[in-house]
Amino acid sequence: MAEKKKKSEPEYIFVEFNTPRKYRWSTGPYVGKMYHEARMNKKLYANQCPKCKKMLWEPQVVCGRCKVETGWKWKELPQRGTVMQYTFIVYPMWDPHYGEKFANPLPNAMIEMDDGTVIRHFLEETDEKKLKEGMRVEAVWKENEEDRGEGTADIKFFRTIDK
Amino acid sequence: MADRVAICSAGQTKYSPDRCDVREGDLAYEAIRQVLDETGLTLSDVDSAVTTSQDFWDGRTISSMNIQAVVGAHLSHEDKVAEDGLNAVFAATAQILSGHVDVVLVVSHMKESQAEKALIENAAMEATYLRELGLDFLSTAALQAKRYMYKYGITAEQCAKVAVQNRANAKNNPLAQAPMDITVEDVLSSKILSTPIRALDAKPVSDGACAMILTSGKRAKKITKKPVYVMGISNCYEAHSPGERELADCNALTIAANKAYKMAGIKNPLKDIDVVELSEEYSYQQLMWLEGLGFCGKGEGGAFMDSGRTKMGGKIPVNPSGGMLSGKPNQVSGLAAAAECVLQIRGQAGDRQVKGAKVGLAHGMTGMCGQHQCVMILGK
Repeated sequence: MAEKKKKSEPEYIFVEFNTPRKYRWSTGPYVGKMYHEARMNKKLYANQCPKCKKMLWEPQVVCGRCKVETGWKWKELPQRGTVMQYTFIVYPMWDPHYGEKFANPLPNAMIEMDDGTVIRHFLEETDEKKLKEGMRVEAVWKENEEDRGEGTADIKFFRTIDK
Repeated sequence: MADRVAICSAGQTKYSPDRCDVREGDLAYEAIRQVLDETGLTLSDVDSAVTTSQDFWDGRTISSMNIQAVVGAHLSHEDKVAEDGLNAVFAATAQILSGHVDVVLVVSHMKESQAEKALIENAAMEATYLRELGLDFLSTAALQAKRYMYKYGITAEQCAKVAVQNRANAKNNPLAQAPMDITVEDVLSSKILSTPIRALDAKPVSDGACAMILTSGKRAKKITKKPVYVMGISNCYEAHSPGERELADCNALTIAANKAYKMAGIKNPLKDIDVVELSEEYSYQQLMWLEGLGFCGKGEGGAFMDSGRTKMGGKIPVNPSGGMLSGKPNQVSGLAAAAECVLQIRGQAGDRQVKGAKVGLAHGMTGMCGQHQCVMILGK
């Protein structure tokens, strides 16, 4: 409640609004295929641009770079890659699926998979001193199928490997 | 206008209550592919994309990023404009007239099925004094309908005739979502949503997309044998607060229409226009919009409907596509209205063709009680 003011002074009041808006977003066929392979087979799949031959992450109907329709040519991505760039997140980030805060710290990286496709994901390593660009990493999946079904979030994080 | 701007192609998806099989980009691309195929252009030929979509409906700020790749906007020019898709045509027309771009792709998409309409619309209300009342576009439209009927003596039967006529027209439109064989009695006995609006007075939840290629008049001749020209276009806003407006009248629409008429050289809309495509989310709005557009006087929308002049084969057929009441999404509706006018003027409207249609009027609106209005005149 605002403090009682003299008649001539304005009241400064805040209106709170906490109604959530719920959504039901469709993946569509392209992202849907990626979700399916992740959930059922713990594999990363992307579709390939017929012109530049690059894998599209996220998979989609048109290659943004080449401005051409992609068609339905799919390839499995390798599960190992190299950290191109990372940031060591220490502020409390929201988990948008569940409305809770992620555990901290939370290293987050752009990872160049071994076929050149770049994806963004979390790193398991939370010791900042051990993080470096060029480190080799590998996908670690959620083990139970019932825990999967959230696309790239089916990968828990990328774990440091020797090579 | 200083130069001519042409619509070279217009494409639409079939309108559907739930396109859960696609995400926004896939849906938009269904319409985009049609206009690329028809014109022989590729996304690389597009100088600029102008899109309309709505962040709250898509659940994403900068909702146009949902369709970035499919409109060819990667490292290219893209503008998302607010309000109905017809507003995107307005922006595209201005871009072409600037002389800096020649080929513009206009796209509007909407998936009403993926969110709760009442909550999305409530969020359109001013946050400190209207939103807390729980208002949405349906409850405010009901207030507007009541005011309109009270002030001018418009009857529920006259409104119901709109619901019947538009859904009957939709039977000849293969893209329509909900064509129906219904009677005035069916409308008047359908369940009340908010007095006086009943279920059949309202449009259904709808998903769909519409796309259009606009070019300069000169370029159009190289792309299509059947260009349709933007003869006049304008828009206008009413005040947001319902208390600031006389809800029984639609002054913003009249202002937008008069500006568009002036650009197009329309002196007498009833005489000079051959076909009208409106965005009527609720049945009473069609009567009110016809007044605002000057096809009849204030308060005469009901009698105008009774006269039969808006029927197919009448003096001024209205909504041959079936209109919003037959299922068209918000945001997309006005652009779809323009797409229908393109078909009519080209003589490609199939069983719903208005004979000899040369000049069409497309109308789009957005917001509470038609707060924002956009009008375009199209012609050969």
